[in-house]
Amino acid sequence: MLSSERIVQALEHEGVTHVVGVPDNGSRALFERLWAHPHIEVILTSREGEAFGLASGLYLGGATPLVLIQNTGFFEAGDAFRGTAYNMGLPLVMLVGYRGYKTMEPGAPRVDTAATFFEPTLNAWQIPYTAMHEDGDIEQIPAAFSKARETSLPTAVLIVPETV
Amino acid sequence: MLDKYDCLKKIAAKRTDEIVVTTMSVAMPWAELSDGPLDFAHVESAMGHAADFAHGLAIAQPERRVFVINGDGSTLMCLGTLVTLAQRPALNLTMIITENGTYEVTGNQPVPGADQIDYEQICRGAGIKHVFTIESEAEFDAHLDRHFTGEGPQVFIWKIEKASEPVPKPKRPIRERAHRLREALIH
Repeated sequence: MLSSERIVQALEHEGVTHVVGVPDNGSRALFERLWAHPHIEVILTSREGEAFGLASGLYLGGATPLVLIQNTGFFEAGDAFRGTAYNMGLPLVMLVGYRGYKTMEPGAPRVDTAATFFEPTLNAWQIPYTAMHEDGDIEQIPAAFSKARETSLPTAVLIVPETV
Repeated sequence: MLDKYDCLKKIAAKRTDEIVVTTMSVAMPWAELSDGPLDFAHVESAMGHAADFAHGLAIAQPERRVFVINGDGSTLMCLGTLVTLAQRPALNLTMIITENGTYEVTGNQPVPGADQIDYEQICRGAGIKHVFTIESEAEFDAHLDRHFTGEGPQVFIWKIEKASEPVPKPKRPIRERAHRLREALIH
């Protein structure tokens, strides 16, 4: 199980100043912990594409933003991601909830295309990514920040939920 | 109706250290007036996302005024941004919507709802308190200072004449423009 407390500690360690995005069931506990955080500001956007524009402006203005969205919103945000963070060459890290992950397991009663389309899309859009399944994977967060800084490009860390 | 070029000239003449984010039909006319590190042409592009981009700049740089000069077509592509602007106010953000009902750089096709949309009502309904619709040169001159000093988020709707602009092609690639802006802001 992934601890929202441990994720927030990792974000603090990276100096994150703003978390920008749209909540979903999988990120609920994380958003609640962030809302209570004394230093990290949460900015909700009306759609996920806005999160990439807003976070890109924050970064260019000297802040250290993080985008927090679900994979369904990631699909919606395609042109915003391409036209802002990617084309601008910004080391922006995004945490993306992996809705439907469990539906890809053999024998699952249905398949969620939010999951089956997800990693092929990340690859097509040339976004480096890793996945977090449990607390032992939290080190993927500092690794993603390092990768983003090295390449001056966005990177993603996928949050795999315990349930569908 | 306003002449877009005259309005831009008046803004440029008064402007000092403000960030100016421009979109589509305004980008190249503005670049002829000013093309420094604090001028960012938000083209080539995530159309509709200049306002959220400027919102992020304004939050990160609260001591500096940020302008975003958006078209009506660009504004329509992401109306939710108006709600986001209102729910996380940036006191230093000035948004301008240049309204003439057409996509100027693609051949003046009408934007959805051209001539029937009330952008002021949409902005107010989204929760933005300071909204001004400007139709004449006299009104523009009377509101010019407020563009620079009014409490944000504030929106000015410029009712402009129809015009035709080529596809904007900034001198520098977007990556260079972005990093040049960051250098100017944090060093």
